[in-house]
Amino acid sequence: MTYTSILYLFIFLPGVMLLYQLAPGRHRYKVLLAGSWLFFLSLSGKLIIYLLISTVSVHHIGLWLSSCKKDLDLTGVSAEEKKSLKAACAVKRRRILWLGLGIQLGMLVVLKYSGFFSDNVNHLLKAVSYPNLLPAMKFALPIGISFYTLQAVSYLADVYYEKIPADDHLGRLALYLTFFPILMEGPICRYSQTANALTEGKPLEYKNVTYGFQRILWGLFKKLIIADRLNLLVETVFGSYKQYGGIVVILGAILYTFQLYADFSGCIDMTIGTGEIFGITIPENFRQPFFSKSPSEFWRRWHITLGTWLKDYIFYPISLTAPVKKFGKNSRAKLGKHVGQVVASAPALFGVWICNGFWHGTGWHYLFFGIYYFVLILLENLTEPYVIKAAEGLKINRNNVLYRIFQSVKLLIIVFIGELFFRAETMTAGLSMFRSIFTDFDTKVLTNGTLLQLGLSYADYTAVFLGFLAVLTVGIIHERGISIRDKISGYKIPVRWTLYYGAILLVIVLGAYGDGYIPAKLIYAGF
Amino acid sequence: MNKLLEILNEINPGIDYETETRLIDDALLDSFSILSLIPELEDAFDISITPADMIPVNFNSANAIWSMINRLKED
Repeated sequence: MTYTSILYLFIFLPGVMLLYQLAPGRHRYKVLLAGSWLFFLSLSGKLIIYLLISTVSVHHIGLWLSSCKKDLDLTGVSAEEKKSLKAACAVKRRRILWLGLGIQLGMLVVLKYSGFFSDNVNHLLKAVSYPNLLPAMKFALPIGISFYTLQAVSYLADVYYEKIPADDHLGRLALYLTFFPILMEGPICRYSQTANALTEGKPLEYKNVTYGFQRILWGLFKKLIIADRLNLLVETVFGSYKQYGGIVVILGAILYTFQLYADFSGCIDMTIGTGEIFGITIPENFRQPFFSKSPSEFWRRWHITLGTWLKDYIFYPISLTAPVKKFGKNSRAKLGKHVGQVVASAPALFGVWICNGFWHGTGWHYLFFGIYYFVLILLENLTEPYVIKAAEGLKINRNNVLYRIFQSVKLLIIVFIGELFFRAETMTAGLSMFRSIFTDFDTKVLTNGTLLQLGLSYADYTAVFLGFLAVLTVGIIHERGISIRDKISGYKIPVRWTLYYGAILLVIVLGAYGDGYIPAKLIYAGF
Repeated sequence: MNKLLEILNEINPGIDYETETRLIDDALLDSFSILSLIPELEDAFDISITPADMIPVNFNSANAIWSMINRLKED
């Protein structure tokens, strides 16, 4: 059962809505929790044990962190003793935090990365003629582990830093970690964003339900009309990459980027829409990323919740460690203000992009993807004042339309190259595909029918193009700060429902399912 | 407060720190400036800034930074 399946859309979701509405307010969260666990069981079965260990340990360690501070009695003690008691408490709390992080990240690392680790150690030993030292390790991954682990870590860190109180309500914490719409692909929510709303038990309201279904419909449109159709071509090009080169590889990289966007943002639309139905505001994860002007802006608009998570729990903690602060001071003193400032941020930025790469998966190409953006963003910041100076010297207006187009094209090329390596089966495959763009470039493929042998027909290309135009139009409208749904809700009922039925009809008629289409998995659910 | 204004002007000059209240929201101070500011504040006021303090509301104005410094001094 996934978010686009008939079972989910026509039985599971309406069933949960019905039971939720029938249940008394204070018990409604139990319906959501039971639904979430049922959803998890349908996808990962007995692997739910890992989720339960995560939930119970996070709950217990959160309370332990909190009680350790509360139990600190400083009445009637001298200033000296106060200082030493506070220091002892800080040490104890730090150890408890590390224990909590160890349990959460330990499960993720063992289940997700041990196979990668054993393979590479054995590969390395083979090079020096040692037999396989480590057994091949491959564990089944519970659905959503990469997402709920990050939520668990943020909860523990926030309790540790006293940003939020520890929650003694096990049900609320369990639901915060596993609310079914966010389980497969996030977004990565913070406890302070969703936990209270999840247990509030608000009754279903007409406006929330209609807005929620509109958003779900928009998600289905992106997923079924664009992403799943593009999947046919992407599978062909990346699956048999040795057969293709030049323009076909470029087309594969471009269309994979749009597939990924339509798939992931479409799923997030369905998630946010489902949250809206129950009156729960789930954070946005995309803000028209392709309208960005630079790689760092792109990442502030693409997978926003992962970016902010990495900033708060990797970038700042690394930046604030004593050695990094010392390194920063030395860099600024030796390299001058601008270069020193940028170089000072490099260790933390490196940590962020290594984590970003490895979070997505266990191939070397994911690591390359992370380092690729680390280098680009560092260079972007390093060269920024010189670019501004050069533009002034050459009398180029940086707000000029032509300059903006140049920036957008440059950004798109950067993104397409990144996604080529990201989607490639292996690092070697990525390099081979990238090389073939230059060594096998032949414009004949545009006219000799090759493009129609990649899994998409004329009709498919047309459907994708029209879908893409619709997404682009909506993006432009959103970029101007206009809410389309508010506009639609202002129309008279016949117009409004004609639009709804039209959209439903489009998804049914143009959706890529049935004969000739391979059911495509949600891409980020695999991470 | 004068010491704080001096540090801010040293790190990122050209901003009226006495009146500006959207230093972070309007990107007048970027993350590089903030990372330069922190060790200076820690040394000058003998405080320890943690990741929990790294929120826009603590850095949006000189007054907000000053309040954070005083709170951390009490800790």
